[in-house]
Amino acid sequence: MDITINSQVIKELFSKSSDVLVRPIKINQNDITFHIFCVDGLINTELVDIAILQTLILDPHLSECRTERKVMDYLLDGGAYHVFAIEEADYNLVLKYVLSGMVAFLFDEEQKAIVYDVRMFEKRSIQEPAEEGVMKGAKDAFIEVMRMNTALIRRRIRSEYLVVEALSAGKISKTDFALVYISNIANLDTVKKIRDIINNINIDNISTPAFIEEYLVENKKSIFPQIMYTQRPDRVSANLSDGRIALVVDGMPFVYLLPCQLPMLMQTPEDYANHFYIGSFLRIIRYVSMIITLFLPAFYIAATTYQNQMLPVKLALSIQQAKLKVPFSSSTEVLVLLIAFEILIEAGLRLPKTVGTAMSILGGLVIGQSAVSANLLSPAVVVIVSIAGISGFIMPNQDLSSGIRLSRFLLAILASIGGFFGLVVGLIIFITHLCSLDNYGVAYMSPFVDVEAGNHKDTLFRFPIKYFRKRPNKIVPENREKQN
Amino acid sequence: MKKIILLLIPFLLCGCSHDMNRKEIDEINFIHVLGIDFSDNEYTLSALYSTGGGTDPQGESAIEEVSNGTGKTPYEAYEDLVLKNRKAITLAQTGFFLIGDRAAETGLKLCLDFLSRDQTIKMESLVYIIKDEKAADFINKGIENKQLIHEDLETIKQKQKQIVTRNDNNLVNILNEMKQKYSGILIPYLIAEEKIFLIEGYAVFDQLKLKDYLDSETSSGVDFIKNIIRTYPIYLEDQADLSISYSDTNLKSELDNKNIKITIKINFETMINEVITEENIFSPEVLLELTERQNKFVKGIVEKAVNYTTATGIDILQFARLIENQHAKDWRNLEADWSENILDIEYEYVLNSKIVKSFILD
Repeated sequence: MDITINSQVIKELFSKSSDVLVRPIKINQNDITFHIFCVDGLINTELVDIAILQTLILDPHLSECRTERKVMDYLLDGGAYHVFAIEEADYNLVLKYVLSGMVAFLFDEEQKAIVYDVRMFEKRSIQEPAEEGVMKGAKDAFIEVMRMNTALIRRRIRSEYLVVEALSAGKISKTDFALVYISNIANLDTVKKIRDIINNINIDNISTPAFIEEYLVENKKSIFPQIMYTQRPDRVSANLSDGRIALVVDGMPFVYLLPCQLPMLMQTPEDYANHFYIGSFLRIIRYVSMIITLFLPAFYIAATTYQNQMLPVKLALSIQQAKLKVPFSSSTEVLVLLIAFEILIEAGLRLPKTVGTAMSILGGLVIGQSAVSANLLSPAVVVIVSIAGISGFIMPNQDLSSGIRLSRFLLAILASIGGFFGLVVGLIIFITHLCSLDNYGVAYMSPFVDVEAGNHKDTLFRFPIKYFRKRPNKIVPENREKQN
Repeated sequence: MKKIILLLIPFLLCGCSHDMNRKEIDEINFIHVLGIDFSDNEYTLSALYSTGGGTDPQGESAIEEVSNGTGKTPYEAYEDLVLKNRKAITLAQTGFFLIGDRAAETGLKLCLDFLSRDQTIKMESLVYIIKDEKAADFINKGIENKQLIHEDLETIKQKQKQIVTRNDNNLVNILNEMKQKYSGILIPYLIAEEKIFLIEGYAVFDQLKLKDYLDSETSSGVDFIKNIIRTYPIYLEDQADLSISYSDTNLKSELDNKNIKITIKINFETMINEVITEENIFSPEVLLELTERQNKFVKGIVEKAVNYTTATGIDILQFARLIENQHAKDWRNLEADWSENILDIEYEYVLNSKIVKSFILD
């Protein structure tokens, strides 16, 4: 049903909302009355008062306008000083604009409105990224305001080809999205695919990241992240110039990047800030840590319960002696401690920071030490689970870290059932699963599984920048030249 | 998901059909050293394992215990050992196998056969012969002397590695050598002196049975010919003591009808470790003289090994394999009479050496 713009209708609609303001304004003595329609708290009141209303009241030329149409034309022609002013006849759009923080002047006779963008709401200032901090590199991070985030990207890519496409989803929340890409680099088929997905999101409210991620991710059952998020504008700009597509969501202090591959999740901006040998070394450390966190608990179970001949004599003896008085099997010890570790992490996240520190000490040190002294746990298991736990936190991406943490439980259980045989079965399942994932036409394990040698220059090793001549061919089919 | 289920099926089937040898590490006694003896028509296995110690700082220091099992074969003795033990035992961590004098005389094959069929065994475990003694007595003597036997054996292993480039007495190597038809097998033998164990030389096996013990110099000669010498001391009376820092041996065989000639070419370098004369040994003339003397010294050692082969007809230097490799076709004619042919081999020695460093601190 088409509803025409009318101040009375709007007044009734928001009659119970104290923050919504629908107030008549009389212009001179011409009996022309329009209504100002806005949401208190979302607009810059000072700007509305000084730049728009004050001008209107004091402007002598306005008295010459005898009709609403003339008033509207005068205002749109610069009678009110504001850069963003549009005439709108669509009732729903006017509602959307106002509810997102703009101010509308409603002209009942004309059944139209003039909308000014005077949004100003309380927001965080730009701060250092909490999760992706670097010593050598930019310190700014995205905030919850979409426009600010797109501006941060635009500041880094001053290209006319940078497209910031506005989208919206959420039947009630009407959340704003910005699809950002470089039009002469990005694969436009992928852009279309993402745009279609967002346009087809048919949910009331997009309140948490999962509401978007689960729509965008192709293999929803996988526990491994198939969409990358980052708090860093520099990272987004680097990926945009590599042909990836960014998705900025209003209300979320990070930006999504697509398509996403596993090696991308193992990279940090610091890799490129350091010498390439150091960058490569750090990256290898990360991969080694991933292997450690994934396999060490399972390896320990397999080696101490099934194939103890795998252990060097002295190590086997040490473990044996340490375990003599412990009443539980190695697999029970490891699994219980892994669960305890997860509980500690969860508790640490929920508790206030001050209590959290004390809890870490109590949980990690006191209980751990007491459990060993009481012969409930062998010291070797504490060491193994601690190393695996710490190694897990080296992952630059928390989603990947969580996926790996969950996988290590599976591997530990398989090792408990079948020793190294179980571990190998787990490894096969793990690799098969990762290799079967596909992300917007690009293999998740790409470029590890790519044939083209050029794609491998930024995977396990970070080659010198001069070798980054082409963009990854799986992501960018054309315009691959990066540097001559 | 289907793929995962398909992968899991064989795994679950294996799990259902067998317990997959699940055994907690603390429920097992790791045998560190296994002694094999033969007496009164019975084999005796002496298993040495540690208790106590470990990582617990408050724990007791490591104590070594021995338990024995007897049987008509080594495997029967092992089964007896398993029965008599309070915990499960495993050979998976056994680093040393000690074969008593009598058991070695009875034959290597039976001693090592059951070990070669154990899937958990470490193939790099070392085998030693106990000279003129039972392995059990040797172990017990060590325990009486409050020695940590497996650590002392580990020290011996390390010392061996300082002298030679590889330890040929590991299980896999011996099992391979046992397949050689014409070659004798050499396994180092141990003697126990006051509170220490020593390797004196090689025990010689012919047809897999213990025949003889080589003295220290003859054993070193064998090492030179096998090209495994890492370092070796040379004592030149009244002049200097040197040590070999590099050695390379090349063997070349020539055949003329049934006449075999083997050229043993040894290149080595030495360092002067001690000067025991007042004369200046660094003058070119004296250095030349020293070089000749050290050549003669090494040649004397090598000759001892060669002479042993010539005297006994036991191919301890594996010349049969050398000729087979270098003259595959002619070997077929020689093979049948190898026990006679080996006695008539002509040897030529070519020794090149130089003294390279003196290490004088000025």
